[in-house]
Amino acid sequence: MKNLIVSLFLFWVFSALSQNKQVLYGLEEVPQSMLLNPGSRIDYKYHFGIPFLSQIHFNGGSSGVSAYDIFQDTDGDINTRIRDKIFELKNTDFFTATEQLDIFNFGWKNKKGIYFSGGVYQEFDFVLYFPRDLAILGWEGNQNYIGKEFDLGEVSTTGELLTVYHFGINKKVSKKLTLGLRAKIYSSMLSFRSTNNKGTFVTRLSETNNNIYEHIVSNANFTVNTAGIASLEGMDNTSQIRNELIGRAFFGGNIGLGVDIGGTYEINELWTASASVLDLGAVFYTKDIESYQVKGGYTLDGIELLFPGFGEGESPPYYDDLINEIEDSFPIDTLNSSYTKIRPVKMNASIKYNFGKSIGGSGVCNCLKMGENQEFNQAVGFQYYGMFRPKGPQMAATLFYYRRFSDHFSAKATYTVDSYSYYNLGLGFVANFNVVNFYIMLDNLQWYSNIAKAKSVSLQLGFNIIIPEDE
Amino acid sequence: MKKNFFLFFSIVIASLFFSACIKDTDFDQTDDIEITPALELDFVFFTLDANRFYDIDAGEYNLVVSDTTDFTFLNDEFTSENLLRAEFLFKSTNSLPVDFISKIDFLNASYEVFYTIQFPVNSGTINNPTITEFIQVIEGNDMELLTQADKVIVSINASTSVENLEGVYKFQSKTAYYLKVGL
Repeated sequence: MKNLIVSLFLFWVFSALSQNKQVLYGLEEVPQSMLLNPGSRIDYKYHFGIPFLSQIHFNGGSSGVSAYDIFQDTDGDINTRIRDKIFELKNTDFFTATEQLDIFNFGWKNKKGIYFSGGVYQEFDFVLYFPRDLAILGWEGNQNYIGKEFDLGEVSTTGELLTVYHFGINKKVSKKLTLGLRAKIYSSMLSFRSTNNKGTFVTRLSETNNNIYEHIVSNANFTVNTAGIASLEGMDNTSQIRNELIGRAFFGGNIGLGVDIGGTYEINELWTASASVLDLGAVFYTKDIESYQVKGGYTLDGIELLFPGFGEGESPPYYDDLINEIEDSFPIDTLNSSYTKIRPVKMNASIKYNFGKSIGGSGVCNCLKMGENQEFNQAVGFQYYGMFRPKGPQMAATLFYYRRFSDHFSAKATYTVDSYSYYNLGLGFVANFNVVNFYIMLDNLQWYSNIAKAKSVSLQLGFNIIIPEDE
Repeated sequence: MKKNFFLFFSIVIASLFFSACIKDTDFDQTDDIEITPALELDFVFFTLDANRFYDIDAGEYNLVVSDTTDFTFLNDEFTSENLLRAEFLFKSTNSLPVDFISKIDFLNASYEVFYTIQFPVNSGTINNPTITEFIQVIEGNDMELLTQADKVIVSINASTSVENLEGVYKFQSKTAYYLKVGL
């Protein structure tokens, strides 16, 4: 049981991926902000996301290296740059790709003031930690590292393609507090994971004096879990694979359950706080599972020739025997047992200070909201975003400035410090033309003149139809 | 005023969106990427005493013993394409009072010899064994020959009979492989 809990925790912390959407968080004009905080304030009556266009999100990044670092068009040698980067990167550096596509999204407010919202989105997550020791060994070889133990357990990667069906409720429970809850069903199409691996490799001067060196792999323990991949291997063409994946998107794959919770608290008319916890849940892998486990250890000191005496018969097949012995020392077990993967839990929190002109009414006071906190056209604030990772938590801190220019236009600018950099500038813009709501959000703006220098890039945009309360 | 703000932000977003580009980079450099690891790997080892030279069938001691092993690593496609240079180190520790010639032949399955390394080993005593180190560097055309081989024969040729002699001939070896792997 203890092992199970530890395993589940490790799965959970490892599954965390880069999904910070610091510009969108708290931007209540955009219905998709409810996916970041189901307890955000909603002042419209209905919304419908334009199918496939209501949220397109892409994030690709690496915490320690940009394309420019390697491919810069300067006089230096690319091989020297790669070598320098291999040594500069840490085993906690990572490469990620995240993609999210809203298939559809809708919501309505009932007579009791409860806002119901639901929809379907598709998501792809991938993370690969930099296996520094293996990279050094591969790039340099072992010649300059006699006696150094290379950590083979740095190999850590996970990826998932899934569809999420969600339905949430949101209610302003008092004049100051809005709470929300969202239930999710995950339908996993593909999943792989190789984490918590172990093992070392060393080449050292022989201690037995059999030969000159000993090449030792110790306590190797590697596991790769896959779900939804083994059955695709037998398929010949892409249309077969596509049809199979589409089937899995509609509950044909491995199923999971989860919830998002969140709330917004208007402390007074100037200060507002909010927080959310997303993806508290798990996917239960029971179908099309194939896991591979390799355990073992071996010491290689070359081929020992026995020189069988004359008349004692032929020599044994030394080389084949050696290869067989090595293979036997690392047996590969193929397992089909079910497993559970905790979804990556994300946390958001913010505090903001409102100022400027009051929205609506005379510009000094919105008399329709007497007794409730006023809304202002500007705000500054701080946001926190966090996820646990196996090699340390991933966190981001954001300072933001929000400005609503009119009923039609608003914008938010962010400055974020995260795992990728200490100076990530973001900008989001929301426009409402009658009932059409459009938004676009970008980050790492300082690199847009040359994206090659950015260690991560993130883009979100979408269209919605929003019907205000009074229509 | 509002229009100006809208105009300003529209221009900022539009210019960012449309001006975003990748520059000052040259992705053709991918062709220049070369991984050049240097690998140290044990080769063959053995220990011979006088009994290994005895021929049971003939009832006498021979001057030469040999043994053969496959070594398909050398003519593996990856090795033959990417191996630039190989440095063999042979370390002999001889406590037999006999000189030897050690010979390593690299050959194919038809026993066609492509490359031979040969070196002398001086006699020693049990109390004072002779240690001989011999290094052979193989590159260029010789490397093309070496990488056609998938078998190794090691022959130890004694200068005089080892009959009834005390001591052992200990043979250790390793190779440094210098690879150059392009993408």
